[in-house]
Amino acid sequence: MEKTLFDKYGGFSTVSRIVLTLYDRLLEDDDLGPFFDDVDLPGIIDHQTKFVSSLMGGPASFGDDHIARAHSHLTINPHHFDRLKDLVTEVLADFDVDPVDIEAVVGAFEARRPLLVETPNVD
Amino acid sequence: MSIEAINEQLLRAIGVGVALIDLQTLEVRFRNDTFDGWFASDGPPGTLPDLFPDLELETLRADLAQDKTFNAELSFKLRRRTMTVAMEFNRAVDAGENIAVLVCQNITRIKELESMIDAYSMMVERNTHEIKREKEQVERLLLNMMPRAAYEEYKTFGVVSPRLFDPVSVLAIDFIGFDDVLSKHDPGVIVSELNDIYSGFDRIGAQFSCQRIRTNGDSYLAVSGVPDPNQDHANAVAQSAIRFLRFLERRNASHPIRWVARIGVASGSVLGSVVGSQNYIYDVFGETVSGALRHRGAAGDMSIVTDAAFASLVQNGFEATAREDGLFGLIERTEQAGTG
Repeated sequence: MEKTLFDKYGGFSTVSRIVLTLYDRLLEDDDLGPFFDDVDLPGIIDHQTKFVSSLMGGPASFGDDHIARAHSHLTINPHHFDRLKDLVTEVLADFDVDPVDIEAVVGAFEARRPLLVETPNVD
Repeated sequence: MSIEAINEQLLRAIGVGVALIDLQTLEVRFRNDTFDGWFASDGPPGTLPDLFPDLELETLRADLAQDKTFNAELSFKLRRRTMTVAMEFNRAVDAGENIAVLVCQNITRIKELESMIDAYSMMVERNTHEIKREKEQVERLLLNMMPRAAYEEYKTFGVVSPRLFDPVSVLAIDFIGFDDVLSKHDPGVIVSELNDIYSGFDRIGAQFSCQRIRTNGDSYLAVSGVPDPNQDHANAVAQSAIRFLRFLERRNASHPIRWVARIGVASGSVLGSVVGSQNYIYDVFGETVSGALRHRGAAGDMSIVTDAAFASLVQNGFEATAREDGLFGLIERTEQAGTG
């Protein structure tokens, strides 16, 4: 079986650092931070851990239904989604993840865009 | 710069929040920069209850009066971040004044890591649970395909080496007019019927240490003495055979499809092994198996046929009647006068 990115980059030990870094940047980000205003700490960490882990093929994989449901109360616009992709790319690059692997992770993320982003009425 | 000034400068610069509290008035006399950064207010230093309304002041006072340390933990939002600090109050030993030193350690990262470990452990536990369940399902499936001993061998070594089992007895049963039944009924019905019947055979076999080896369409083959030796293999097979027929008779009385079976039994040795490298099937081979199949072919409706060798092994409780072709019909002795 092909090794997952989760295993390739050191499992939980690395993913935990990626999670905390992403968490810091998300909260500090002017566009994305507000989404986490009313979420408590364990909620955010839980979200981030599962998020990064599943993006890298580690434990915790979510069905698309689950993802759609968990975000249905949020108004996520295309630029929010793009910004998150940028942040994920930045953080992974900071952790020396190969560009091709970053592309794979961000690609997996992009594939789920329709589940999260409100379809704009006008362009 | 005086020593006091240097001390104060240092106190202001460190990454630990420090404040001095007047225990009489609960006023904050001094706050360093880190403390201010967390509990910032541009105004006057304020009082302890203003800053921390949830603090248990009575306990704090009582503890400090006895020169004990008072500890508390506080969570608050700093911008969006949930911060957690560990507070430690100590009474200043010096001076005639009633002053407490409050030291605040930032334990936010520890709390975040704790939360993450919790989240991760739950994920891992759930995954482990799922893997365990899947493993059990696979194990159950494999145990349906091979005896436990063969499965254990396969699990440990990745292969199952052929093994000779001697002596054993083999039972072969099939249904007369199966093609006819097939053509008259929906395949789904047939499958469901066979499933029910074979499950019944399995249950009966289990009572007599007689294990199903394989089924192929309407052909059901069971063995006693594989993989665990069974001294009483012939009786086990004969008992099972009698009860298979009885089970079918009872079942036929209350079901629309009437199944007419025939059974061949034989004893001797068999070679047991897993065959195939992609599709693992545990099977038994040898003259004994062929013998049982041949005898089955010679059996009439709802009857059991065997040879002299097997017949000689099952004298108690059974009656073997010699046939013209040299084979023997086998019935249960107590059934002679009964209705069967």
